[in-house]
Amino acid sequence: MVLKAKNGGSKKSDAIEERWEKGFMIKDLFMAGIIALKDYIATHVLTCLVPAFLLAGAMVTFINREAILYHLGEKANKIKSFSLAGVSSFLVAACSCTVIPVSSGLYYSGAGIGVAFIILWVAPASNILALVYTGSILGSGMVISRIVAALLMAFIVGWVMSFAFRGERAEIVNPVGEKPKKNIISKQDLILMLLILLSLLLPNYLVRGGAYGYKVLVWASVTLVMVVYAVKILPKEKIKSWLRETWWFVRIIFPLLLAGVFIVGIIGKILPEDWIKSWLGGNGVLASFLATMIGAISYFATMTEAPFVDTLMKLGMGKGPALALLLTGPGLSLPNWLAIAKVFGAKKSIVYVFTIIVLGTIVGWFFGNFIF
Amino acid sequence: MKIQVAGPGCPRCHATEENVRDACAQLNLVADISHVFDVREFAKLGVLFTPAVIVDGKIVTSGKIPTVEELKELLSKIK
Repeated sequence: MVLKAKNGGSKKSDAIEERWEKGFMIKDLFMAGIIALKDYIATHVLTCLVPAFLLAGAMVTFINREAILYHLGEKANKIKSFSLAGVSSFLVAACSCTVIPVSSGLYYSGAGIGVAFIILWVAPASNILALVYTGSILGSGMVISRIVAALLMAFIVGWVMSFAFRGERAEIVNPVGEKPKKNIISKQDLILMLLILLSLLLPNYLVRGGAYGYKVLVWASVTLVMVVYAVKILPKEKIKSWLRETWWFVRIIFPLLLAGVFIVGIIGKILPEDWIKSWLGGNGVLASFLATMIGAISYFATMTEAPFVDTLMKLGMGKGPALALLLTGPGLSLPNWLAIAKVFGAKKSIVYVFTIIVLGTIVGWFFGNFIF
Repeated sequence: MKIQVAGPGCPRCHATEENVRDACAQLNLVADISHVFDVREFAKLGVLFTPAVIVDGKIVTSGKIPTVEELKELLSKIK
């Protein structure tokens, strides 16, 4: 921060006023956005985004998601179906927009309300795409916390929803049909996905803190192996549809991501550090609650939450609130509340959103004070 | 023939509808093509993954954008 308040920030508003007096112009803000964008593109596109998009494309093309979900419609006991729902959510969808049809479809084909809302929560809060990306920006500790916290919250949300709406049963409009004949994924495709995952993880974990050039080198060698494998083993048609799906992810998510990073750069410049420190710093209950609310109301496209949290942490946000924001950012948003209300009814939507906000606050506070 | 495309209005869903229209045009197929946007309707149709293409009440593809070629093959089989 170049323009730090000189009066020690005794009054919070002084800091921001001083910035404006010093001729804080639109141009400066624009430049801050551009610089953030430049840093981001230079250090993330090759070793992080390219493999992430390839992985997302592979998930859509190679994983038989119907086969995964088939088991969730069964009348299993709560522990079994809740665990299954939590784990399968990691692979099912990449953002809250695609997950609503999945979750409502399950509900109306006979799955319990708890299961439907677990999918609704876990899929955006900790899907594979967002997790690996979080790891490369914020480190593995944060990823593990994100997974554990998302699953814990999922179980509680599942219980709360089942309990609050125990008397209700959706009219089953489309009972689960025959067991799908195909397997969830073939061995060949699984190996390819593991190779993509390696090209995503190895550069960031092998070359910890090393020069970026080394990361690119590691990425390039794993990618080379992956490409050779794909060309040799997989049929041409499969590769084509995989790349086509990948390209769609790039087209949809990449512009959002760039816009997000640009805005984050500007926000980082406008917000005085003192504000962030006093409102979101430390690991208090209030900081966690505010972080949860920011995440629960505003819309974050998949993966944009990571650079946003990164910027806020550099400005002094505590780790606990950061975790709360990581979880609720992509998991909930105002448009998302409305969509859920439309599909499941206002009552369920209110109970769900309220539960998540309470849990997010507790999780941020708990992890901040006892885990990190 | 009644063809429904199910999708909540996402870009992938519109691309699917376009491919369906192209495929029908190339096959000179006269079909009643509609786009279902209401998520509650998806459940009735049995759709979990969008975009989905439903021909005469039967889901033929879901969770991906079918290419014009794939659609032509599917549709000519049904026709």
